[in-house]
Amino acid sequence: MASHMSMGEAHRRITEYLNRFVDVISYQDGTSLKNLLYLSSESPSFLALADALNIFQDANRVIKQADKYSQYAEIVAPLFRAMQSYRVGHLVESYQAFEKSANAFIQEFRNWESAWALEALYVVVYEIRILAEKADRELASNGKTPEKLKAAGSFLMKVFGVLAGKGPKRVGALYVTCQLFKVYFKLGTVHLCRSVIRSIETARIFDFEEFPVRDKVTYMYYTGRLEVLNENFPAADHKLSYALKHCDPQSEANIRMILKYLVPVKLSIGILPKKSLLEKYNLVEYSDIVLAMRRGDLRLLRHALEQHEDRFLRSGVYLVLEKLELQVYQRLVKKIYIIQKQKDPSKAHQIKLEMIVKALKWLQMEMDLDEVECIMSILIYKNLVKGYFAHKSKVAVLSKQDPFPKLNGKPINA
Amino acid sequence: MMNQGGVSDTRTTLDQKVSLEHTVDPSHAQAPSYYAPPPGSEPASWASYNHAQHTEPGPPGSVPQASAGAVSSSGATNIEYANYAAYPNNDPYGYGNTNYSNYYGSYQQQPNQAYPQQQQPSQTQAYGQPTGAYQSTGAPHQPISSFQNAGSYAGPASYSSTTYYNPGDYQTSSGGYPSANYNNSQTNTWNQGSYANYAHQYPSYTAESNGAYNAQSAPAPAPAPATSVQYQQDYKQWTDYYSQTEVTCAPGTENVASTSASNLVPAGYSAPNSQQVSTVQPSAPVNNVHEGYWKQEGQAFQNYNVSSNMQSNFQKPLDLYPASGSFQNQQKPEVPQQPYVPYAAASHQVTQTYHPSLPLPPPPPPPQTAAPFNSAQVNNVQIPTNPRISSNLPVSLPKNNNTTIGVTKPAYISVSLPKTNDNASSHAAAAADSSLKPGMLPKSLRGYVERALARCRDDKQMSACQDILKEVITKASTDGTLATRDWDTEPLFPLPNTDLINNDATTPSPMKNRRSPSRRTKSRWEPLPEDKPVEKQMSFTPNNVKYGGLVHSNERDKQVSTARPENKENKFSNLKFYIGNQKETNKAGLRPAKRQHVGDGRIGLNNGDSDSDSDKEQQSLTAYYAGAIALADTPEERRRRESRSKRFEKNHGNRAASNFAKTKNVGGNLYTRRASASLLANSNSLDEGPASRAVEDIDWDSLTVKGTCQEIEKRYLRLTSAPDPATVRPEEVLEKALRFVQDSPKNYLYKCDQLKSIRQDLTVQRIRNELTVKVYETHARLAIEVGDLSEYNQCQSQLQTLYAEGIKGQDMEFSAYNLLCVILHSNNNRDLLSAMSRLSVEARKDTGVKHALAVRAAVTSGNYVSFFKLYKNAPNLNTCLMDLYVEKMRYAAVKCMTRSCRPTLPVSYVAQVLGFQSADSSDEKGTGGLEECTEWLKAHGACLATDGSGEMMLDAKASMASLFMPEPDDAVSHGDASLAVNDFLTRSLS
Repeated sequence: MASHMSMGEAHRRITEYLNRFVDVISYQDGTSLKNLLYLSSESPSFLALADALNIFQDANRVIKQADKYSQYAEIVAPLFRAMQSYRVGHLVESYQAFEKSANAFIQEFRNWESAWALEALYVVVYEIRILAEKADRELASNGKTPEKLKAAGSFLMKVFGVLAGKGPKRVGALYVTCQLFKVYFKLGTVHLCRSVIRSIETARIFDFEEFPVRDKVTYMYYTGRLEVLNENFPAADHKLSYALKHCDPQSEANIRMILKYLVPVKLSIGILPKKSLLEKYNLVEYSDIVLAMRRGDLRLLRHALEQHEDRFLRSGVYLVLEKLELQVYQRLVKKIYIIQKQKDPSKAHQIKLEMIVKALKWLQMEMDLDEVECIMSILIYKNLVKGYFAHKSKVAVLSKQDPFPKLNGKPINA
Repeated sequence: MMNQGGVSDTRTTLDQKVSLEHTVDPSHAQAPSYYAPPPGSEPASWASYNHAQHTEPGPPGSVPQASAGAVSSSGATNIEYANYAAYPNNDPYGYGNTNYSNYYGSYQQQPNQAYPQQQQPSQTQAYGQPTGAYQSTGAPHQPISSFQNAGSYAGPASYSSTTYYNPGDYQTSSGGYPSANYNNSQTNTWNQGSYANYAHQYPSYTAESNGAYNAQSAPAPAPAPATSVQYQQDYKQWTDYYSQTEVTCAPGTENVASTSASNLVPAGYSAPNSQQVSTVQPSAPVNNVHEGYWKQEGQAFQNYNVSSNMQSNFQKPLDLYPASGSFQNQQKPEVPQQPYVPYAAASHQVTQTYHPSLPLPPPPPPPQTAAPFNSAQVNNVQIPTNPRISSNLPVSLPKNNNTTIGVTKPAYISVSLPKTNDNASSHAAAAADSSLKPGMLPKSLRGYVERALARCRDDKQMSACQDILKEVITKASTDGTLATRDWDTEPLFPLPNTDLINNDATTPSPMKNRRSPSRRTKSRWEPLPEDKPVEKQMSFTPNNVKYGGLVHSNERDKQVSTARPENKENKFSNLKFYIGNQKETNKAGLRPAKRQHVGDGRIGLNNGDSDSDSDKEQQSLTAYYAGAIALADTPEERRRRESRSKRFEKNHGNRAASNFAKTKNVGGNLYTRRASASLLANSNSLDEGPASRAVEDIDWDSLTVKGTCQEIEKRYLRLTSAPDPATVRPEEVLEKALRFVQDSPKNYLYKCDQLKSIRQDLTVQRIRNELTVKVYETHARLAIEVGDLSEYNQCQSQLQTLYAEGIKGQDMEFSAYNLLCVILHSNNNRDLLSAMSRLSVEARKDTGVKHALAVRAAVTSGNYVSFFKLYKNAPNLNTCLMDLYVEKMRYAAVKCMTRSCRPTLPVSYVAQVLGFQSADSSDEKGTGGLEECTEWLKAHGACLATDGSGEMMLDAKASMASLFMPEPDDAVSHGDASLAVNDFLTRSLS
């Protein structure tokens, strides 16, 4: 590894880095500082520095040699260790060292009046998460319990605490929040998001709109997902739509991620997407479902769910999609109604249960009368069908006026 | 552990309060001496000591407070520890209490505490002779060699600089450790040599021993009880020890001091015995081996200092101690003096001083320090420091031996005493001691050692014992528990089997050092072996022993060095040690008899690999060291050390608590165990790196119990302490118990109770196999049947981990239950999603799982018809879980029907659809179900009417508004019917 580098060269690189580090802080140059901390960027200068550190084993001495270095020793020394370990692929150690460094950095950051170093802080926060994920992968592959991401989560909470107050640094809070979301979603500890959300949404000191756009989009995306899990469709719709609207149109991957949740939400409130949209963003797993809803094809819906079950379960939309079944029934009954209407408009509003059973049979869905009656009852109960059911005669009597109310963006009644 | 130990010690002392110093109790006269030898002894002398401490060296003895009484008074005075020195002088042999006087000037501070206690007794008696021998490094000459103890303390001081003791540790132990004092006084005191007194004290020790000890620390007593004779023996041994120790001290002046102290102490003891004394001194000169030891040890010490590895130091001492468990005091050095009291006092002072001495304290160097370990390096170091000492050491030791002769002899003087048989043992002991840092030996440890050795019938045994002791102490010092362990309560290890020892003489120590928790093959909680300590015959020759000792020390060094590197890299090595030691200690404590077995096993294991391992490690480490050395003194390094030392401070609270517990329950091993457990936990939180690894390295096997109970029935009682094997049923019995419960006609509460006790027994024995699965499955099924969801959930979560471990059982059935439970009772979408995504393809084909999934679909879509169809046809116990949801489903269904159906619905239809069914399914129309349904509808506020044909009809429209969910009959205000008083009473009656 970089054995070509001489001791002197290594020393020179290290000193150069230290000098830059010190200078950048004294000039309050956030962007440059950011670059000095951007470990996982794996930029050539970083790799070279890491090599230099590995050759020149005793960087700590260099740091201690001069006061101007040693004042930041608590940041730099562990940072160097993190780089060294990172370079040789010891990610767990790298994470641990980096967290120490980050802790020291936060202490400094706290003392800086202005928010000039916000960008650098972003990088630190980002690095913490990325390194923790990598470290966890390393731990898992060694058969150990991955726990670094969890540690990163609590570290980020600390950072959030530093930013969340009043003052110019508050702008950074949303970024940290988003990183926290990423951690929590990855860990499956979504419930931990609640406290962060509360402090963002209830604190009136700061207008949400003043946060940077990218953070707002990310924030809305994650909170939207949370609402999907809670099956709170109007709120989910609002948040995800906001994210979609403000998302950079160039970043198709992000748009796709948003749509992945927005489509089911929209379906749930009766709004179907165009086929072209699904195709453009490669969301074909939804196309059969949309088709089933258009056609009232229960079989197709079930088939589509079965086919993509794993994917839907993982993304957490399975249950949402499953609930589309009622809308499919509604569509089916509506079709029967339309056909009857064409045959005999005067009796169109009376739909015999047997008709429905027969229609389902065509779809190869075997159901007995009781079950179909139950479904009709539910449709009426949920206001997907207006009318009543006459048990004695086994006939569903539809209202003459708007027997199949549209959802129009409202969720199905509970 | 160290902490604990320390704490406990302190505690004990604290309790007595004063005692710290004095813990010493009178008996320990020595202690008293420290303090101020009160009355009798002349305060003045004390004072002088204090001041001069060093200066006075020789005199120490002079002060002689003479009578114990005086001592006690001194205790009262407290103030003057300084005097310690005094003791020695007085009585050289005489033990007489008086001697104390000079000892440690440093002590003075202590004031309050302990003194009184000291007074008590007899302390004096034993003391008698002051060993002049002490070499305080500083003032080598001071006659008071006896002081060495002090010296030893001082040593600590020196250590501090070296890192020797982790300051942190000391602090924690605070009371315990004199070391602190040492630090302060460090050199001075030591140098002074006034120590001589110590020796005296010791003597007194024997005499007083029992009473005094008891007074101070209950634990200590063990030794005390021993007849004076025993003591004498012990003393002899000690002397040897000491002498050796002294030597070590000598090498590194500072260290030397401490060592010398230790030596002195012994000397003192020996003095009383006269024989011993002589032997001791000679030892240095006499046995090359010894010298070798010393040197090695000395090196080790130095290394230690350098590295500042307190732990290592401690460990060594500990090893010795364990044997001597009796010693309350942590500090080994003092041991000799034992005067327990003084020590304690010393410890107090120490701590105090310690702080001041900051410089010393530099936190133990990080692993890097390892460098020091290298013997070569070490040697160098030592040489520079005290070239003379090293050479002198042997000599000085002799002096101690001379105790009888004259307390005041200068440390340097080398008395070449011929060793007696006793010496052999003493040598071994000495070796052990040498490994220990001089200053470090707690009195209690000494007591422990004495107790241990007192049991020995012959030389062989003695030497074997010594070996074991050495190991124990080494371990303890490695752990850092040396000072903190409560040696007084430490159970003695079983007497060694001499035969074994012979074979392993050269290897055992290394192995022991290396022991990591995982090496433990036996459970601490296993039933006690029957062996009696005394039974074994030792075939050792003194030489062998010595040899072994040497080897040990070498090995130790190696190991230490190797360990260091690890530390650097892993950080946790220390912890490991710690743990290992702790365990050992605990073990020893719990079952002294067991130790032997363990030891044997280890030896066997170790023989193969220990040497090669250590060699390799050393090699690989060499490079590392070079770097480490360079770093050792950097500011960063220092800072790290500091932070490390602080880590122990944090633990202090805990330790204190645990100590407390210990003191309260001298016999209570349980507490010890718990304390150690909590310590472990605590240490984790403190230091992420090491801790996490350390936890992984904990050998939980060693915490496992093996039951001996043969009762099939056993009531469940939540454990509030560690399980007692006598009440735990082994696996075969548990199997019977399970069958018994399954066949039992009794009610659920009884079965639940029985199953819980079975589960508990399984847990404490860490049995995780198909039986375990069966028990949990049985319990889960029973719980489902009666709708006891909380119990079911416990079983289910256990089962999930058991299945995940690959243990066979009805996992399909239970994943179906799990699904149902999530769907029907937790209503958490995320849980449901994850439960569903976890299902394997095979699982989806299982009838039970399929059924559960269908139920889920029915529930999410609200399809009551399908739900009740599934309800009727549920496999396994799915029905039972669904039962709990039926009410809700029915209510929702009726609401839905009344909303959608017009004008009426026949109740018979409702009954059929909602699963109301009479028990006799032959009843075509289900009239039984009809009645039940009618009742149910009425209860929920439905409007019923009879139509023309006489059929009961549900008036949908009218019912829409009137439906309500009635309060369950058995509802209780606190929400859990099973907590109702009446129910509780019936339960307890049943």
